[in-house]
Amino acid sequence: MNNKKKILLVDDDLDLLEQNKLLIESKGYEVITANSGKEGFEVFKKTKPDACVIDLIMEEHDSGFILCYRIKNDEHGKSIPVFILTSATYDTGFKFGASTSEEREWIKADALIHKPVIIEEFVQKLEAFYELKK
Amino acid sequence: MTANSMNTNKPKVLIVDDEKGLRIGAQRLLELEGYEVTTAENGTEGIKFGTETEFDLAVIDLKMPDIDGLEVLQTIRKKFPNTVCFIATAYASYETAVEATRLGAHSYIPKPFSPEELISNLKEGYQKRLVNLEAEKWHREREERLLEVAFEKTRLNTIINSITDGVLVINKEGLAVLYNPAVLRFLELSGIAVEEYILDKLRPEILELFNKLINQAPSEHKSYTIQIELKPNREFFVEITASAVRHSAVNVAGVVIVFKDITELKKIEFVKSQFVSMVSHELKAPIAAVYGFLKLFNDDSIKLTPEQRKDYETRSMVRLDGLLKMVNDLLDISRMELKTVHREIKKVCLHEIIISILELFQIDISKKGLQVIFDKDNSAHCINADSDEISRLFTNLISNAIKYNRDQGIININLYQSDNYVVTEIKDSGIGLKPEDKQKLFSEFFRAKNEKTKNISGTGLGLSIVKRIVDSYSGKIEVESEFGEGTTFKVFLPTII
Repeated sequence: MNNKKKILLVDDDLDLLEQNKLLIESKGYEVITANSGKEGFEVFKKTKPDACVIDLIMEEHDSGFILCYRIKNDEHGKSIPVFILTSATYDTGFKFGASTSEEREWIKADALIHKPVIIEEFVQKLEAFYELKK
Repeated sequence: MTANSMNTNKPKVLIVDDEKGLRIGAQRLLELEGYEVTTAENGTEGIKFGTETEFDLAVIDLKMPDIDGLEVLQTIRKKFPNTVCFIATAYASYETAVEATRLGAHSYIPKPFSPEELISNLKEGYQKRLVNLEAEKWHREREERLLEVAFEKTRLNTIINSITDGVLVINKEGLAVLYNPAVLRFLELSGIAVEEYILDKLRPEILELFNKLINQAPSEHKSYTIQIELKPNREFFVEITASAVRHSAVNVAGVVIVFKDITELKKIEFVKSQFVSMVSHELKAPIAAVYGFLKLFNDDSIKLTPEQRKDYETRSMVRLDGLLKMVNDLLDISRMELKTVHREIKKVCLHEIIISILELFQIDISKKGLQVIFDKDNSAHCINADSDEISRLFTNLISNAIKYNRDQGIININLYQSDNYVVTEIKDSGIGLKPEDKQKLFSEFFRAKNEKTKNISGTGLGLSIVKRIVDSYSGKIEVESEFGEGTTFKVFLPTII
């Protein structure tokens, strides 16, 4: 089973990190984890994953954005899907919703995944991306 | 011969003539007629008497050896313009008469004159004088009243111009009849001319208010208040209150509009709502974690080992515990904000508080192998305070000194007096603070996040509560820290409150 897709999961909440890891693994993916924006980029460079799932708010409010931005500006990062994981929507009042095209353009994330993660939805979005690439 | 005293009601006459017979004759005659008479025998004396005292009337001879009568006339009139003067002359000519009148003589009396002529002239002159005085009095009063009105107006203007709120009064025709400089900022105008037509320069919202008020029914006495964001991004918020100015009970004469800058207020509101956002986010995290674990337990597709399950149960408990602590901290903060905390102020000795806190944390201290240096007999430092609050204050600080310490580290607690403060110094040998984290230390939900702190739990509210307690006692808190070396907190509490 060496053709398993490698997903990089970045979250500073260790409990959520582990839960989502288990969920994604249960769908037949390999999951590698990091728990800060900084570590996330190091692991990304080292492992060259097939997809990234990044929590929006980590050390700082915009750590997730910055990591996403850095990955998307990397040669390898351009070719893989990068998802932003967030519970911060309008209901929490944070300005970001990635709802405007400028915001999407700026962070260049391929999709927003809302917490708690509904794994089927996630898999669907992920596979749709790979289908498109073919 | 002396000048008259002033305290009679008789008309006062000054006779200036170098002819002695005429002086005596006139004096006798006039005194019989009820005048008070003063005589001067030449021009010099005439000027002296005439300017010393105000006479009602003066009869001045034109030709005198020393000073010309016209000069005497001028000098007296200059000092007392209401003295009615007659020029008496034997050389009456048209030119002299004109000249005398030009210089302020009421009339001239040709010499020689009969007693009747003199008396009738003086009588008429005196009437003239009374009329003049009355007119002058009236004039003066009127001037004073005008001055008063002008002063009132100036005062009103000064007051209105000093108000930082904008004030604008628009009459029925839409002209700006009264406004202060502050209003320009709110209307975004560089200037308004006096009685300028202003309606076309108003924002539609304000114009709407104006129209509503102008057409208001006489029975209605309503004012309207609206809020407008004049500049985006909370830069300039204005509250506008408009009410009708009524002439009588019925007629609306115009509208007065008051503009108030409420930007600061809006900023505070914004900070408050940001705080609520932050709170909800912080509360959401542990709930999401526990929810996630429960979902794993119920997911048939995920096989958990008994150890994993046990681990996740424990971790769920830890998160719930943290959530509970956070809710308690939030309630504390809210109570402090609302000032509903009932304080029981009494003498509190800090060493006792610290001893009991150290006992409370005994297990955590020995688990980490920490060495606590504290002089338990240092009982000299007492303050007036609520012992629960002081206890919470130091519990938070000592708990931090334990949590963020290294194993086998040191906690040094020192009590001493500095000016009128009792200083409690709590020094740890822990991970310390980065300079950039130091400033944010006391803000809600701030937690220094780095490799060394990621396994330390906390609500992010502890030091915010500490700061609030210290502030509420008019104390202060200082922090010194070197990253990797440790942190020292110094709490200054006033000895006497």
